[in-house]
Amino acid sequence: MSTFKKFLIVIMLFAMLSACGPATTPEPVQEEPAPVEQEPVEEPAVPVEEVTPTEEPVVEEPEMEPVTIQVYYPVAVDAPITAILDGYVADFEAEYPHITVEPVYSGGYADVQTAIQTTIEGGGTPPALAVLLATSLYDLINADYIAPMDQYVAAMENGQAYLDDFLPAFMANSYYDDQLWSIPFQRSAVVMYYNVDKFADAGIEPPTSWQSWAEAAQALTTIDGDTTNWGLKFSSDWPYWLFQPLAIGAGQNIFVDDCTMAFNDPKVVEAVQFYIDLSKVYGAMPEGVQASWATDTADFSSGSVAMIAHTTGSLTGLLNQAQFTIGVMPYPGKEEGTYASVPGGGNFYIMKGAPQEQQDAAWKFIEFITSPELAADYSIQTGYIASRFSAFDTPAMQEYTAKVPQALQARDALQYAQAELAIQNLGQVRSIFHNYIQKAFNGEMSAQDAMDAAQTEAEAALEPFCQ
Amino acid sequence: MSVIKSSAKKQKFNVFPYILTLPTVIFVALFTAWPVILSIYKSFFLQRMNIAKFREPTFIGLDNYLDLFADPNFHQVLKNTFNYVIGTVPISIFLGFFFALLVNRKIFLKGPIRLAFFHPMVLPMVSAATIWLFFFTPGYGLMNSALRVLGYSGPENWTGNPDLALLSVIIVAIWKNSGYYMIFYLAGLQKLPGDVFESAQLDGANGWQILWKITFPLLRRTTVFITTIAFIDAFRTVDHIFVLTTGGPSQASTVLLFQLWQERFENQNVGLASAITVIFILVLLIFTVTNFLISEREEK
Repeated sequence: MSTFKKFLIVIMLFAMLSACGPATTPEPVQEEPAPVEQEPVEEPAVPVEEVTPTEEPVVEEPEMEPVTIQVYYPVAVDAPITAILDGYVADFEAEYPHITVEPVYSGGYADVQTAIQTTIEGGGTPPALAVLLATSLYDLINADYIAPMDQYVAAMENGQAYLDDFLPAFMANSYYDDQLWSIPFQRSAVVMYYNVDKFADAGIEPPTSWQSWAEAAQALTTIDGDTTNWGLKFSSDWPYWLFQPLAIGAGQNIFVDDCTMAFNDPKVVEAVQFYIDLSKVYGAMPEGVQASWATDTADFSSGSVAMIAHTTGSLTGLLNQAQFTIGVMPYPGKEEGTYASVPGGGNFYIMKGAPQEQQDAAWKFIEFITSPELAADYSIQTGYIASRFSAFDTPAMQEYTAKVPQALQARDALQYAQAELAIQNLGQVRSIFHNYIQKAFNGEMSAQDAMDAAQTEAEAALEPFCQ
Repeated sequence: MSVIKSSAKKQKFNVFPYILTLPTVIFVALFTAWPVILSIYKSFFLQRMNIAKFREPTFIGLDNYLDLFADPNFHQVLKNTFNYVIGTVPISIFLGFFFALLVNRKIFLKGPIRLAFFHPMVLPMVSAATIWLFFFTPGYGLMNSALRVLGYSGPENWTGNPDLALLSVIIVAIWKNSGYYMIFYLAGLQKLPGDVFESAQLDGANGWQILWKITFPLLRRTTVFITTIAFIDAFRTVDHIFVLTTGGPSQASTVLLFQLWQERFENQNVGLASAITVIFILVLLIFTVTNFLISEREEK
């Protein structure tokens, strides 16, 4: 009897174990046979739903095997990205019935990159397509994760025109070794938001130089009992991005190329000093490092703070909350009449480890989703800047910018933009820069000493990459 | 003779208990033991995923460890970690004990007060930290307003000030954990034998004496348990640091696990990250074993 019971228990245990088995090895899930059954169901629906005049599917269909691709997306702004992209995927699948797209949402940019890294290093097949930071370029190339896209553009009827249609600032991080590695998708920029009503009430014009910027911020700083209504707030908890336009406005970006930093260039040091002076000399901004990225938008839209440095990604939220007219402009530069900005956000990358037919399908999806119409639609729905010039000529966009002229102001800021910090060994060099610039902001070191130390350490950190 | 014989018979190898523990053993081996072995192994290699020529691991002996201990930044990180653990563990345990004593009595609004102490535990750390981000806001933030009422006039920029950044993440951790530890103490208190207290009262012991001579010693096992989980928790919770300070300013609030994440996923330095992992595991192991041995000895 008891041996029989034991026998039963052992069998149950093995059953449990085998049930647990697949959980420990998740990779096989990524194989692609599934769509075979799905395809015939979807096909009849196509002509009814869409009236797209493209002949491509008709030509390609007989030669095309069904293929399924995964697309990894980060969700980095306060917009229903998931629902919006699901809609685009449905439209895409209607136009290319042999391709099935599985969008995978897995957190922010860092999470998506970590997920892909872990998959590849664990021996798995990566997704064919991913949206990752434009600045991750060198890390992704060095790790051998991504494939260049030149052959796809060459095969296009009007490939160069396609590339030229993207805003140049957004293409700044797409090339390396004369090859094209990424296509802009959800892009933003650093801008300065200002409260137009406050400026009008005080009879001040929007600033056109560091001097007039600092004076405006000083004039608009008011003390109201216990609280100070600051003229300017400028967060520095993750400082490189918001700081870059200050350096560019002084005449020197913080880096020259992927192996050369300009941290202690006299113009960059001057920009660090200007940030410090805004509080120390002009009293127009709270002193020291401000870990206020998340709270600055609330302070601005409540009308307390007159100007903030922030991302264009916050535009939609600010417009919804503010009870006054919002102005969007690039940072004023040091010299009268100069301005500066820096782009940000994510690009499409095709993953090298995915099978060739998936990579090809991924390019089709990129082409589809970066069409002027969808680029315009995505911009309107999310607040990202439309990545292509022609997107601004679409009827939908024209209607939108007539109502929301700030979207055009945000785009126009980009003509003063230079490249976002994208270098070899990005993580480490960026940490070094953050360490020292924060020491300068907090008065632990002088601007010159801090930037000298940052330059020395960064050069050491780049040595193994750049010999 | 017969006694020996029967015990020998009892000790006859029985496969059944091993089969029962097999699933657990497999899981622990796969998800705990194997990664540890792998980390130890990889910590002796130079492997950097973002440098083409260093993608394939090369053996470098103890260089990763030597590099770490020669790096002043790593000393800073160890110091921060030490301060963080010392800052959070004793105070949150003490507060947990204090809260438990408080809500174990017959007091007005006992339910709501228990809930108030416990609710931070239910919130995910990221949400809790986001709420605190607003509490810490200089000027109108709740924390600063409250402190000002109490007469505080010091610096208000909690998360951006290098002297206060670590303290602010410690405050959030204490706020988050005290209520959780309270629950364990509360459970312990309610299991204590009533007659001991009665006889102590008959012997004329005052409340303070009862508390420190009877209640606290009787709760020793609970304290050992809470100390262990509090210690491990202090090492493994970094979510609020990401939200509040991102380890800054100038690394003033970077602790070991945060540093590990940076090395592995930002700097993609596999060897160095493995070495940090090994150090991390060693610290936890030493503490847990010491804690266990001390409590075992006291048991005897």
